[in-house]
Amino acid sequence: MIHIFDGAMGTMFQQLGLLQPGACPEMLCLTNPAAVTKVHQRYADAGANIVETFTFGASALKLEHYGLQDRVTELNHAAVKAAKSVKTADGKPIKVAGGMGPSGRFVKPLGDLDFEEAYRNYFQQSQALEEAGADYILIETFIDIQEMRAALLAAKDATSLPVICQLSYSEDGRTVTGTDPQTAAITLDAMGADIIGINCSLGPEQLVPIVKAISENTAKPISVQPNAGMPQLIDGKTVFPMSPADFGTWAPKLVQAGATYVGGCCGTTPEHIAAIKSALQGVEPPRFAPLRRRLMLTSRSKTVTVDKELPTVLIGERINPTGRKKLAAEIKDGSFASVKREALDQVKAGAKLLDVNMGVGGIDQAAAMKRAVTEIAQLTDAPLAIDTSDAAALEAGLRAYPGRALINSVSAEVERLEKFIPLAKKYGAAILCLPLTDEGIPKTAPERLAVMDKIISTAKAAGLKDGDFLLDGLVMTVAADADACNHTLETLRLYREKYGYPATMGLSNISFGLPNRPLINSTFFTMCLAAGLDAPIMNPYDESMQNALMASMALLGKDPNGRDFSRNEKNLAVPKKAAVAKHVELTPLDALKAAVIEGEADEIGTLVENAINAGLEPNEITEKALTAAMNEIGVDFGAGRVFLPQVLLSAEAMRSAFIKLKEKFPAASDSTKGTVVLATVKGDVHDLGKNIVGALLENSGFNLIDLGKDVPAENIVAAAREHKAAIVGLCALMTTTMTEIDEVIRQLKEQNINAKVMVGGAALTQEYADEAGADYYASDGVVALNIANEIIGAN
Amino acid sequence: MPIYNSPIFAIDAAEARRYAGLQKADFSQQLIDDACMEAQLLIQPKGIWQLYDYDSAHQLLHTTENDVSLQGTAPHCHNKADTTGNCLALQGNSIGKHLAGCCKVIVMAATVGEAIEQQVTKSFEEGRYSFSVLLDAAATAAVEQVADAMEKTIRNEVKRLGLAMKWRFSPGYGDWPIQQQTEILQLAGGSHIDISLTESLMLMPRKSITAVIGLYYPDTVRNCTPHEQNTLNKAPEKPKHDCRHCSKIDCPARNKE
Repeated sequence: MIHIFDGAMGTMFQQLGLLQPGACPEMLCLTNPAAVTKVHQRYADAGANIVETFTFGASALKLEHYGLQDRVTELNHAAVKAAKSVKTADGKPIKVAGGMGPSGRFVKPLGDLDFEEAYRNYFQQSQALEEAGADYILIETFIDIQEMRAALLAAKDATSLPVICQLSYSEDGRTVTGTDPQTAAITLDAMGADIIGINCSLGPEQLVPIVKAISENTAKPISVQPNAGMPQLIDGKTVFPMSPADFGTWAPKLVQAGATYVGGCCGTTPEHIAAIKSALQGVEPPRFAPLRRRLMLTSRSKTVTVDKELPTVLIGERINPTGRKKLAAEIKDGSFASVKREALDQVKAGAKLLDVNMGVGGIDQAAAMKRAVTEIAQLTDAPLAIDTSDAAALEAGLRAYPGRALINSVSAEVERLEKFIPLAKKYGAAILCLPLTDEGIPKTAPERLAVMDKIISTAKAAGLKDGDFLLDGLVMTVAADADACNHTLETLRLYREKYGYPATMGLSNISFGLPNRPLINSTFFTMCLAAGLDAPIMNPYDESMQNALMASMALLGKDPNGRDFSRNEKNLAVPKKAAVAKHVELTPLDALKAAVIEGEADEIGTLVENAINAGLEPNEITEKALTAAMNEIGVDFGAGRVFLPQVLLSAEAMRSAFIKLKEKFPAASDSTKGTVVLATVKGDVHDLGKNIVGALLENSGFNLIDLGKDVPAENIVAAAREHKAAIVGLCALMTTTMTEIDEVIRQLKEQNINAKVMVGGAALTQEYADEAGADYYASDGVVALNIANEIIGAN
Repeated sequence: MPIYNSPIFAIDAAEARRYAGLQKADFSQQLIDDACMEAQLLIQPKGIWQLYDYDSAHQLLHTTENDVSLQGTAPHCHNKADTTGNCLALQGNSIGKHLAGCCKVIVMAATVGEAIEQQVTKSFEEGRYSFSVLLDAAATAAVEQVADAMEKTIRNEVKRLGLAMKWRFSPGYGDWPIQQQTEILQLAGGSHIDISLTESLMLMPRKSITAVIGLYYPDTVRNCTPHEQNTLNKAPEKPKHDCRHCSKIDCPARNKE
């Protein structure tokens, strides 16, 4: 059956002149309930069989704007009451959907609203709506999946009503915070939304593909309430231009795409609803082939499917402090720097899901898990597996995660079954099932299957379904049990045969106690992939495993005809790029010079040693290799052939060379070209440009006195005097700070310090430098170096 | 007072390359990618914005905040000078021209925080000069991405009101005096995301931006002069920082088109 929703309420009241600018619109339910009922009735007369209460902004967080936060219950009661008395066109009682709109703030960490505050907000409102007799809770116009999750959890906890979850999508087909319809459908379906839908933002035409994307990913009913086209301003008013007749013609298309609840949002009127009603006369919803529920996990903005017919999904195991003292210590200290780095590195190495384990002794596991999940979700869109044996940590992680996570793991141990499965159901998580009992680990495949039966049947009794399971093949050590590998392979085959669910496992246990573990591991890996392993939990940086995976994909037909395999450079007999000719054929000086020009700091130490071993003096090395190299770079830079970061690579190479020379000849490197006092002037805190100049000077043999940033004129003058500076370099980046340069120069002159003054910085120009009385203007670091060399040469 | 701290899943390496002045250079992609990834670990993206009425004829910004999320209510255009004094006159021709025909403005602020700044400095001290410069460029790319993500959010909200957006314009662009940074930062609510100003009007943390975005009605610009309507019609579909409006013509990052 197709259900017809109502259209816009605010627009109607505005037309009737019932809304006061600056006043809370929902107060109308208390001040003029008859008018509210009348509008509801008009929609019912037009053909709606569900009307939505006028409570879009009737939650505490919204009412706070008007100082009405204490009247949530009263207002929602009145709103439901105003709708309840309405009768449908054929005289039946109308169904009332209790509407809840977004708070207007983003949930942390995207915004400043705490998840629990959002939860309480919607708990209170949905409770009030049910008390007064609403038939549905309708959460609508949400633009962020995390606020939707808070509202859905709250509505489920506070009421026993069916919950409709409607997000708003932008023209790019995603919500404002990046969720696509597939990801939304999977996440909300798993969390127990009863009807999944869309409203507002776009017109019906743009919503057809979104309805379709949802219907391909959930068997739940779909609701859609488009705007009457895209808004325009006509005669000073925002107008939604689509006529009722045009709007009506889209209704059958929305139904064909999969919607069974159809209504209108901004700009729609009773006439629009009447047009839908008449357009849908006699239209039957299409019968879709039943969905095969596959294991799909989501982050805020991405869905990852694990299935026997799809390429292997690598689960990164590295966010785990077990046996890693440094990581454990960091987590204990509250630093998540390495956790974040592991997340990014693993994704880069090909991990599609990330396992997160915070098993450090003596810390608040729940707090650590919440923090880890939150931080990682801000950094990558790979969905997460929450890996813990602590139910509180599990719940903290699931609650904080703006997607559908995997629980690692649920065994047949009584405590796990009792505590973890309800959490999976509540938060819409999938479960990794481990065939393990309170008695221990079953050895043979049939025994493992029996345990798996128990886990799956318990989970299904609690409401989990196909698509919620990932089965662990369980790996024991082959050194201890000769048949360990065979048991695992047999287990994988039986899983596939009996359940058809995807399988996972950690692999490295197999080789424990054996030599050449990488060989055993990668060989075992290929066997498992053939037997039915779909999502290995592994170290994505392990090259032998990655190679085994790549070859297996080609052999098992998951990389058809080995196409990807053939494209990978690693597998080509002749590497695409011939190895770059090294500096072996050059003289030691030329080799060193070339390495400085190329910026190869790593090789410099050896090359300097080669030069010394060849009997060259430090002076000669400096002059003929290092300085010569920098001169050449300077010329290339001036000609636009090389750019600043390249010059800096060379400066790094110079630095390494000088460090090496100093190490070999501690006495030799004391002589300098002259002293430069360098500073960013008072009021200015930019120092990168100044630092670049300093680095170039220092690594070209100048004695550098770097005074830092935000340096008062007096300090610069004092330093110039004290160090008998040949050159004073001044930097200012902004128009607001460059006048300080004038002041420094004035003081230098006043005190008869005859160092040459060189100035630079983004806002400076030659003209300004001239006016300020500077001797030189340096437009960049290389120019500064050239000028410094020129000044010293002239002296 | 919406706060929106956009997640950044990858820093745009092409933009980082441009900010490092390497547009035309044959420079290791690996080094740029490494710096972008390191930057991603260090940034703390934060953003905030507010909506205000704007009187384009007098370049007056009405400093009483609007509720942008208010649904179904047509906003009113106050195209007359405010006499109550609750307004800020935006100075200079550039900003006036940029906001011609706009009846509302978004004032926004964004930052990627202090930690990355500290790492830039630290890396340089350690002699990792080029990495430091690349990290700095990646941080610049990142703060622009944070602002872009905010704009996307804002666009969604304002579209609902039937409005269209111009691109971001910041104090210091053209002849808009940098001295107005103080008011703009305050109107954006920058202190809520820990952005402050030094006495010399620099934003702290350094990788922060403030900007004004003009909002206008695309179809009916009744109160505009024909010239203004013309400007609006030519406004780019996808608002983006436009190097042509910047006087720093020797900027190594200048977009060459």
